[in-house]
Amino acid sequence: MNLDAKIPEGPLADKWDNHLFNMKLINPANRRKYKIIVVGTGLAGGAAAATLAEQGYNVEAFTYNDSPRRAHSIAAQGGINAAKNYPNDGDSIRRLFYDTIKGGDFRAREANVYRLAQVSNNIIDQCVAQGVPFARDYGGLLANRSFGGAQVSRTFYARGQTGQQLLLGAYSALVRQIGLGTVTMHTRKEMADIVLIDGQCRGIITRDLLTGEVESHVADAVILATGGYGNVFFLSTNAQACNVTAAYRAYKKGAGFANPCFTQIHPTCIPVSGDHQSKLTLMSESLRNDGRIWVPKNKGDKRKPADIPEEERDYYLERKYPSFGNLSPRDISSRAAKEACDDGRGVASTGYGVYLDFADAIKRLGRDKIEERYGNLFEMYERITDDDPYTTPMMIYPASHYTMGGLWVDYNLMSNIPGLHVGGEANFSDHGANRLGASALMQGLSDGYFVLPSTVPHYLATNGPFEKVTKDHPEFKKAEAEVRDKVSRLMSIKGKHTPTYFHRELGKIMWEYCGMARNEAGLKKALELIPQVREEFWKDVTVTGDAQNLNTVLEKAMRVADFLEFAEVLVHDALERDESCGSHFRTEHQYPDGEAMRNDKDFAHVGVWEFQGVGKKPLRHKEELQYENVKFAVRSYK
Amino acid sequence: MKITLMVWRQKCCKEQGKIEKFVVDNVEEDMSFLEMFDILNERLILEGKDPIAFDHDCREGICGACSMTINGVPHGHEHGTTTCQLHMRKFKDGDTIYVEPFRNKAFPVIKDLVVDRTAYERIMQAGGFVSVATGNAKDANNLPISKENADLAMDAAACIGCGACASSCPNGSAMLFVSAKVGQFALLPQGQPERKRRVLAMIKQMEKDGFGGCTNMYECEAACPKNVSVRFIAKMNRDYLRASLFTKSK
Amino acid sequence: MGLLSYLKSTILSKWVMAITGCILVLFICGHAVGNLQILLGSDTYNTYAAFLQGLGEILWIIRIGLFVCLVLHLITSIRLKLLNNSARPTAYQYKSFLKAKLTSRTMIWTGIMIFAFLTYHLLHFTAGVTNPVEYDQHEVVINGKSGIAQEIPNDPRILAQLPPTLQTTTVDGKLYAVQEEVKTAETRHDVYKMVVLGFRNPITSLVYIIGVILLGFHLSHAIQSMFQTAGFNHPKYTPWIIQGSNALAVIVVLCLISIPITILTGLVGGTI
Ligand SMILES: Cc1cc2nc3c(=O)[nH]c(=O)nc-3n(C[C@H](O)[C@H](O)[C@H](O)COP(=O)(O)OP(=O)(O)OC[C@H]3O[C@@H](n4cnc5c(N)ncnc54)[C@H](O)[C@@H]3O)c2cc1C
Ligand code: HEM
Ligand code: FES
Repeated sequence: MNLDAKIPEGPLADKWDNHLFNMKLINPANRRKYKIIVVGTGLAGGAAAATLAEQGYNVEAFTYNDSPRRAHSIAAQGGINAAKNYPNDGDSIRRLFYDTIKGGDFRAREANVYRLAQVSNNIIDQCVAQGVPFARDYGGLLANRSFGGAQVSRTFYARGQTGQQLLLGAYSALVRQIGLGTVTMHTRKEMADIVLIDGQCRGIITRDLLTGEVESHVADAVILATGGYGNVFFLSTNAQACNVTAAYRAYKKGAGFANPCFTQIHPTCIPVSGDHQSKLTLMSESLRNDGRIWVPKNKGDKRKPADIPEEERDYYLERKYPSFGNLSPRDISSRAAKEACDDGRGVASTGYGVYLDFADAIKRLGRDKIEERYGNLFEMYERITDDDPYTTPMMIYPASHYTMGGLWVDYNLMSNIPGLHVGGEANFSDHGANRLGASALMQGLSDGYFVLPSTVPHYLATNGPFEKVTKDHPEFKKAEAEVRDKVSRLMSIKGKHTPTYFHRELGKIMWEYCGMARNEAGLKKALELIPQVREEFWKDVTVTGDAQNLNTVLEKAMRVADFLEFAEVLVHDALERDESCGSHFRTEHQYPDGEAMRNDKDFAHVGVWEFQGVGKKPLRHKEELQYENVKFAVRSYK
Repeated sequence: MKITLMVWRQKCCKEQGKIEKFVVDNVEEDMSFLEMFDILNERLILEGKDPIAFDHDCREGICGACSMTINGVPHGHEHGTTTCQLHMRKFKDGDTIYVEPFRNKAFPVIKDLVVDRTAYERIMQAGGFVSVATGNAKDANNLPISKENADLAMDAAACIGCGACASSCPNGSAMLFVSAKVGQFALLPQGQPERKRRVLAMIKQMEKDGFGGCTNMYECEAACPKNVSVRFIAKMNRDYLRASLFTKSK
Repeated sequence: MGLLSYLKSTILSKWVMAITGCILVLFICGHAVGNLQILLGSDTYNTYAAFLQGLGEILWIIRIGLFVCLVLHLITSIRLKLLNNSARPTAYQYKSFLKAKLTSRTMIWTGIMIFAFLTYHLLHFTAGVTNPVEYDQHEVVINGKSGIAQEIPNDPRILAQLPPTLQTTTVDGKLYAVQEEVKTAETRHDVYKMVVLGFRNPITSLVYIIGVILLGFHLSHAIQSMFQTAGFNHPKYTPWIIQGSNALAVIVVLCLISIPITILTGLVGGTI
């Protein structure tokens, strides 16, 4: 597998500029002749589709939602980072770069991250130009808040709906192009496979969710921006439909899957309340700006929070990490919560919860100020739990939230398959072993607005013009037939369990053995269990209805089938990465105080997996990470 | 809790639909409305029946996918709440609940409770944007915007495009949806150059798609899960009049 | 279509509804206050009526203006209603409204009933078609005063017996006796008597009372709705506008129904 990252020459700060100049261009009059397929219209895909169409390319975009505006990016609450340094508190491109590398526990590529920090400022400008209503101060200038893992205020936000506003901005750019006829939008169509011809990615196969029709779409280049795979844990903060299918299909066709075990568990979610639960709701990390996290000092203390006196409370984050306190990075906060609960000091009916308390902040700032900052989050919390966070502390617990792993890409965001580009959460590129808050939106938009629109044309210019290919090409026919075959196989089993049943079973295994803390025995156990569930699935799943009509059971079954194969890759990766780093915590590797112990000698690389067949152990390749500008350091937030 | 559901079933857009009755026994207070449907659907699948189709995705009240009319009101009677955020503790043991799809001529039923809302997409395509290509922006703080206007624009921008306004409106009018977008941009300097074009184009598309007109009944505002105010409709009425009086017609 | 091309746009249609409605509201307010003068007695009331009659061309301009408003209002509302109905072809099986009030949902029906009532009202009191006998009431005004002349038969024997202080005068071929020197003498339409006689019929009164109450329903929504249509909605003032709209509707209704009620109970016109 060719894992050349193609990092441009030159000093770190000049790499992107040099590269922009060195990349090849295409004459405006010829751009129309190139067809680019964009799968996924979240922040990354929506922005890329719109921008490429603005430049003059012929774009076709796909989403399984009924509108691009409903992509999962819409749910991001807290904010988006940028190195603007408007508050003049010592921020800079270099600091954002460094914080991101450090936050990722030294498992991300320097050059990519530096570019991300550089582009971050342009994103804010672009969004403001589109009319995104970011929060402002009375002087009319943009307001900032702070987020986990940073000591500066660099997060821009639009109430608790930043993702929504950014997505609507990208969506507005996209609908403009759709209206102009430069983007053809396909909604309610799910990509079921990619098609390679002579080693180049030349199109995709989709399944129309309304008619069941399996169709081929030909292109000169394909961009996947299909989001993350957090739903492999069944319960997560992701939207219900988020799935791994697109990325996994590309993997099966030869694309490398990088660092799948880097999955982020978010510390502030509403705890599980029962078996019926279909998803976990995130309470934005921004709450940790003013909320204090604590558990009772004594095990099994069942008193009401208000009855527990100050001296019997353990503000464990403030105690363990005095300089970052409640704003410690996500992996650290999540693990600390798990530790407290495993120690029997958890709250909530299940014992798996910790308090997030605003009493002090309300005393200090007044209820009005808190309401202004977090009103809608508090409302959402109350709606779900029936508790009023103004008077009683919130209860929170970690939940699967984000996946740093994804398809391997080079500096140009192209996978090892020529022509197949990957953007947003679907690629592995910028967050290393742990993502800092408010950085995913930044990365998605950086990929979508600025990186892909420069690198995809470069690919077209260097490799085009392409051989004419039609939908009748045998490779397309073959791929279509495979999809139809999969559908009919699923429809014909008529077993005893629903697809959701298997998804839940898989989720239990993943959370139990491959969740917040992992160890060799557990991971091996998971590698035994997952194939069993998968086998059972193919023997005993039931899909009702017919395949020629909207069929939500079939949709689900198709996605679960891919999760059941993919989960194994994830666990393999977790097992092979025999160190703790960032979100990947192997209990075998920790300092006496419970902190993650990295092994830079053996694991300062990207682990990239190559498909070998279902049920067969995939091949692991390495992309060594070169740190020329930062030095490895123990990540300390004390 | 035991809940009786009277649910609209319709195989596809061409066929006639009807109300079908289901009884769900083990409903818990902490469940969301959709989780109750999940349980019912799991049961239906195991009985070999087609489960009830409904749109949903984020289940956090932000994507705007979920779309059930619950006891005659889109997203139910709970104020400022989407279907997915409605919890069963708002109902009583033994309640009978009517669940129908969002109704509007412009939103044909696709199956059961799933409707086609692409009409809203077309309205957005007609003018729901600021025409600024990527890369043209100047520094964000070169454009001060008063906090009041930014906040008000955010109130409008909170719209999730779910279609509850047009489906609660006895006239089937999409004015609240359109006015939220028009209003957001009308409050911001970025939106000024296209202000007149935008309101004319979006309204024209709205009318072309068969949505009705507003008669100020304010049912939309009451049903809106994001509490978008009819204030924006008032503003848009003014904008529209000005635009149609002072724009050269082609 | 020309002028009526505004009908193609729902928002312009609404503006027409609001502007014509506003003119009608102003008229109704004036009309209510004007007619309330019936409580002040026949002379004041008939003087007011005569003043309106005396406006001549101006009266016609006002009438035509109001008529145009009414017709535009009617046409536009029907067109909007048809369009709005077609936008919601399938009704919910379970009907429930959160904010849409009975008044706002029934504007077209109260409107059309008002129109029917209005037609009757015009035929009744303005054109005198429905009740020609009661309509045909006149009184004699001497030196600008009504009620001071008494009709006497043109019989020489009676005339001879009249006290010398009495003057006689002939108006419209009828002979009247007056106690002062006659400078001017004329007859005018006795609107007061016409109204009193008209409302003595309980059925007529009932029709009016119902008509006016319907108007009240219409107005309670219409007035505040007018502000919204015209683009005035502000969290600070709109609650007051809504209250004001209801209050004004109630005031108009009270003014207008007080007339048939006081007549039916004999408080007004009891001596006729
Ligand atoms: C609750 C929550 C809160 C968050 N808050 C923040 C925050 O405050 N700050 C921050 O920086 N990040 C946040 N994140 C993370 C961030 O929102 C996501 O990582 C980011 O939005 C991903 O964007 P994307 O464009 O890569 O993918 P998505 O937005 O997930 O879009 C995926 C797109 O791909 C399409 N798609 C997927 N598969 C297929 C297929 N097979 N066929 C066709 N289409 C397909 C989907 O329809 C969709 O359009 C949050 C995430 C969650 C879950
Ligand atoms: C011909 C008989 C009438 C009919 C059919 C009629 C019908 C209607 C209808 C359907 C509306 C609602 C329109 C909307 O809200 O979009 C309306 C509004 C209104 N009507 Fe009437 N009406 C009639 C008579 C009157 C009269 C006599 C008055 C005044 C005294 C009046 C004053 C108003 C006003 C002020 C509005 C508010 C306009 C707005 O909403 O902006 N109407 N009418
Ligand atoms: S499912 Fe997203 S708003 Fe309800």
